[in-house]
Order: sequence, then structure tokens, then C-alpha cells
Amino acid sequence: MTKGQVSLRGKDILGLQGMTVDEMGLILDSAKEMKNIIDRDIKKVPTLRGKSIVNLFFEPSTRTRTSFELAGKYLGADVVNVTTSASSVVKGESLRDTLLTVEAMGVDIIVMRHEAEGSAEFAASAVSPVIVNAGDGAHEHPTQGLLDMFTIREKKGNISGLKVAIIGDILHSRVARSNIWALLKMGADVSVAGPRTLLPRDLEKHGVKVYDRVEAALEGADVVNILRIQRERQQKGLFPTTREYARIFGVNKDRLSLAKDDVLVMHPGPMNRGLEIAPDVAYSAQSAIQEQVKNGLAVRMAILFLVLMGGNDIEVSA
Amino acid sequence: MKLVLKGGRIIDPSQQLDIVGDVVVVDGRIEAAGVGLAEAADGARIIDVSGLVIAPGLVDMHVHLRDPGLEAKEDIASGTRAAAAGGYTTVCPMPNTKPVIDNAILVAGMKQKAREEGVVNVQIIGALSKGQQGKELAEIGDMMLNGAVALSDDGHYVESAYILKTGLEYARMFGGLVISHAEEESLAGDGFMHEGAVSAMLGLRGRPAVAEDIAVARDVLLAEYTGGTIHIAHVSTAGAVECIRQAKLRGVKVTAEATPHHLTLTDEAVIGFNTATKVNPPLRSTEHVEALIAGLKDGTIDAIATDHAPHAFEEKDMEFRYAPSGFSGLETALGVILNSFYHTGKFTLNEVIDRMSTTPAKILGLEAGTLKVGAPADIVVIDPEKEWTIDSNNFYTRGKCTPYEGNTLRGRAVATIVGGRVVMQGGEVKE
Repeated sequence: MTKGQVSLRGKDILGLQGMTVDEMGLILDSAKEMKNIIDRDIKKVPTLRGKSIVNLFFEPSTRTRTSFELAGKYLGADVVNVTTSASSVVKGESLRDTLLTVEAMGVDIIVMRHEAEGSAEFAASAVSPVIVNAGDGAHEHPTQGLLDMFTIREKKGNISGLKVAIIGDILHSRVARSNIWALLKMGADVSVAGPRTLLPRDLEKHGVKVYDRVEAALEGADVVNILRIQRERQQKGLFPTTREYARIFGVNKDRLSLAKDDVLVMHPGPMNRGLEIAPDVAYSAQSAIQEQVKNGLAVRMAILFLVLMGGNDIEVSA
Repeated sequence: MKLVLKGGRIIDPSQQLDIVGDVVVVDGRIEAAGVGLAEAADGARIIDVSGLVIAPGLVDMHVHLRDPGLEAKEDIASGTRAAAAGGYTTVCPMPNTKPVIDNAILVAGMKQKAREEGVVNVQIIGALSKGQQGKELAEIGDMMLNGAVALSDDGHYVESAYILKTGLEYARMFGGLVISHAEEESLAGDGFMHEGAVSAMLGLRGRPAVAEDIAVARDVLLAEYTGGTIHIAHVSTAGAVECIRQAKLRGVKVTAEATPHHLTLTDEAVIGFNTATKVNPPLRSTEHVEALIAGLKDGTIDAIATDHAPHAFEEKDMEFRYAPSGFSGLETALGVILNSFYHTGKFTLNEVIDRMSTTPAKILGLEAGTLKVGAPADIVVIDPEKEWTIDSNNFYTRGKCTPYEGNTLRGRAVATIVGGRVVMQGGEVKE
């Protein structure tokens, strides 16, 4: 299942801006096979037996951490979770020293989530285990980006030429950034929309269409990805009230009718139902929100497998 | 004690001098500069500088020596050795130390300490407000009468327009120059880099250019209103350059400096999250850099200053947002400027020396930046053609951090003479 000469063996997965289309394609192809494993009665395969993975989470996370943990376990690896409240970070240890400590225990992969942008790059330069970025500040969340690509590809067949709208808080969103880079590389037409205060300045210079009205971005869209609105943003004065946000920027059935009839609705979760997304949109036939979670697991299995094994010898029939 | 620098190209912007000749130093002062002086110099120590440039020693009006209180980053001994290595004969440390230099005793103490531990001249800048808190004026008069050369709350913007207004009025009585770190805090305070296409990509919170534009505009207007004298530190935006240009045309007593890094690097250097690119104000985008260079060329920007801001290794070895801003500049400045501006034909050697020595000395009213007869023999010998590669392990500063790491440059200081004493030769600081 290697694609030509592409291999991810030993490669850090830091972000999608630095990943080629072929590399992304390899992960997505591989994830398709992994998804079959998830549906089995006995899910465990011995592919990564004897390998160890540490989930190093400096930020609270349920779904991403659980997804990585199960991904490692389904493939037979030993997985340990380290979260900040229990780690030496609270004692004031530097990120480098925490990483060196984990490295010294002979770990093969460090899956890291951290609130600071660039911390994954820092980790990759500091220690030798493969670093998989599970989200670094507002910078990137590559596995979320890839699971979104997987979901789009599964539902739409191809990504090139699709009109994709990303709605909400783009400024603070690593999900938005990873999606944007992957979509642009794969040839999609990308629009973003949200309050002007939550859109990064000069984003259009990267080839994205930027709108401050949701309707403009939704017009004729094949895919809409709705981002979570964190309530702290309102407290920081970036928009007046959650009520106004829901009324003007929330994606409801009326607004969604501007998109194509078969529009695919995605949300990275956790949702604020009634704020950025109306319940009848979240649970509509076009919604793939639950499927995204399953696909996330498949994509993470594919990544853990590819960075350690290079894609040559998966025992899918085991 | 007689010292002769023999056969160099003497460039002194203070007297429009550019000749090949000799410089004679007697008892720490310039005795003569001209052609054929070496022959008559019996018993003098003669240094052959043929093929090299003899210029007034560089003057850095904006450094952080971190002494007292922050010696893990730097102290007077290490900082002035870094200065000597870089060709600087005078440096002016900012008062944001622990404690803040905000009274005459501390100014006098710093001068004393610098004489004992330093290898180049150190001129003290006092705080404008007590503790640099921006709330009450520091004892400006007492500090000026005890040898402070300027006043600044550098590191912080003077948020209160009232404090800056009264500070300008009060300092004016003592001929005190007020130096402003101009960035509007409510716009820039939360940010880590220039706001623009690169911050949009990296997800790092921005410090918008307009934060500096607004601050400079307010400061210039207050200088104009009070008749006080203001100097804008580390200008980095096109808007600030234009604001200062217009103010100068109106006759406002404003001067300005730019740093080598703002003149030669853009925000794209931040890609990769190297903490050596984190600085305030931040590295800007190309249009700002171009405006800054144009301002330096036409005299809107008067001086080049390093904003040498060393930090300890462990402080910069951090996630980007947690690393402190600033990096070392004294040992790279001349090479970077010669490489980017002289060797590209944008600036002459005379212009480079003017911006790095003569003009900053003039702004601060120092007896420096000149090779005139009778002036202190503060001299730099420059090899404009010398190729070298920046390796922070070889720095004298404790701040082993520079965005130019590994760059190969053409041009550097090969000797530094302070008051007639050779303190650096061939890159080696002598004491």
C-alpha cells in the first residue's frame, strides 16, 4: 500500500502545511483499510506489538486523546497517557526536559497536544521519537485535518474541484488551518466566513476566499465545516453576545439551503448546539459528524502504523 | 603613550573625511589624522592597518546589559566585551534592570561599576518614571545632573499620555532626551509576532503595525506640543517612518533609530518557530522593511542601534509564546549592516559609519563618533571584506541567541580602541 516512493517511516507528523499530497494520499488510503478493522468484532491486530506510544497532553482533551489511545491499542502497541495535571509540568519542568524524560524510557511515538503554537516543531527538534502533533495552539491539528479529508473523500469521492466552506472562529482554530492547507493542496475551492474579528488578517493572501457573511460562503457549497465557538471569545470582546452570534453566524437549515442539496456537514466537536450549529443541521441526513469520529480513529491508526512500519507489512487479515 | 594606526582608509563623517593615511593617538586622544604621519612617529606603537578602514568607534544608543540583577542574561563585563568584539566603543544600557535605574545614586553606581568592570565606555540612560511604572516621574533632574545621558521606560510603552507630556516638559529643563518604546499596549500586548499573512498561517497572535503607528504619532505630537525632545527607539513600521518624516518637516525635535534586524529580516523568519526571531517590536513584512531602509537612507531614521537584548539559554529554549523577546546584537550588527547595505551598494561606508557612530553620538551629545583632533581616541578598525560565519558559541555576550546564526557575512570589526587602549584585536577582546 505504499504509493510509489512515498514513505512516512520515521517522519514527524507536525502539520499539513508541510505535507505533500502524496503523503496525505498514503495516509488516507491506509486509513480506509484501518476502518475495516474498527468494524470487526475482535479489533486488535498485532502490527505494533512491542511498540510504545505516549500521549503527552498539556491541554484537556477527551476525543482526540481517546482516539489516539484506542488507535494505538487496536494496533497492539502499549499506550500511556500523560496529562499535565499529573505531570512534572506543574512542578515547573521545561518542555524540553519533559520530552527528554519520555524519550529516555524508550518510547517510539510521542503524541503531543500543547497550547503553544510551534510546540510540535520544538519537540521534533528536541527528541528522537516520532512526534505526532495532536494540536499545537492555533497552529495545526493535522490528524483532524486528515480525518476531515478522509470524510470528504469517502462521501464525495474526490476533493479536487469541491467548494468547501469553513464557518466560525478561524483566527483561533488549528482545525481551520490544517483543513485549509490540505484542501488547497488537494485542489478544493476554499471559503471561510465568520465575524471579521475572528478572521485572521491577510488570510486571503494564502489563496482562501474570505467572507464576513456566512451566506456568501455557503452559496453553492459542496461541504461545510462548522467550527466550535469558544465562549471565552465573547468575554474577550470579539463578538457582542452568543445570541447575536447564533442569529447572524450560526448555521441553520435556512442558511444551509444556500448550499448544494447534497452538501456534507462537518463539525470537529464538541458542538455548541444552538450556537454555531442548529440541532436540525447537526442531526440532518447530510451530517457526517458521528462518522468523523470513527474516521478519526482510522486516520490515527494509519498514521501510527505508517510512521513506525512504513506501510509495508500490515497484517489486516490477522 | 603614543599609538599610530598606519596606512588605513580614514572615514570620519563628522568632518567629511575619507582619505588614506595615518591616525596618531597620544595619551588617549586623537593627536592627528592625515597623510605621512607615521614616519615622524618615533617610539610609537605602530599598527599597520593598510587595506582596512579606520573610523570613529561605533556608538550603540540602545543596549541591555542586564546589570544589576539579571546577570544570568548578561553583565557589564560580558556585555562590554561583546561591544568591543563588535567594534563598539560606547554603549548606552537601558534602565530596565533589577532594580530599575531610576535615581542618581543608581546612575552614579552604574557609572562606577562600568569603569571598573567594563572595557568600553558606558553611558547611562535613566528611567523616565519611577520603577518604569509609568505612574510618577523619576528624579529626572538629579539623574541628568549626575551623568545620565537620556531617559527611557524602554521595554514598556509610556501608556499615560499625561506622564509622557509632563516627562517631556520636565526633562527639557535639563536638556534630557526622552527615548520611547512606542507600541500601544492594548493592541500589541497579547501578541507574539507581526500581524499579517505569516501570523495568519502560524496561528500566533499578532502585534499589528498600527499599534506602533499610533504610539509614534502620539509621542511625536506630545514632543511637538511641549517643545521637548523625543527619540523613537527601534522603529519598525512604514507608518511610523512616515509619521517621523512629516514631524521632522514640521520642525519637531524628534530623532529615531532602527535595528539591524528590523532592517534586514522579515516576519517570514518566524516560520519554524525559532525563538531567536521573537522580538519587540516584531520582525515585520517586506513593505515595512523597505520603508525603513528608505527612511534610513533619507535621514528620517537617524541611527542604527542594536537593541542588544540577551537572555539566558534556558529562557529562550522554550515554546515560542513563552520565550522572552529579544536577542543579542552587538557582535553581529556591523557585519549584518555591511553585508546587507554596503556590499549591495545601498549605503556607502561613510553612511554606515554615520548611522552607527557619528549621528547617535550627536543625538546623545557625547564626546564620541569623531576622529577630530583632541577627541577621545575611540576608534574602530574595520575589514569590510572579511568573510566570517556567525556562531553564537563564539560570542562574548551571555546571550547565545541570534536570528543570524550560521549566516556568512562580509565585513567586520578587526580592532577596537577605547581611549587609546586596544581592547579588541583580530576578534579577540584583550582583557
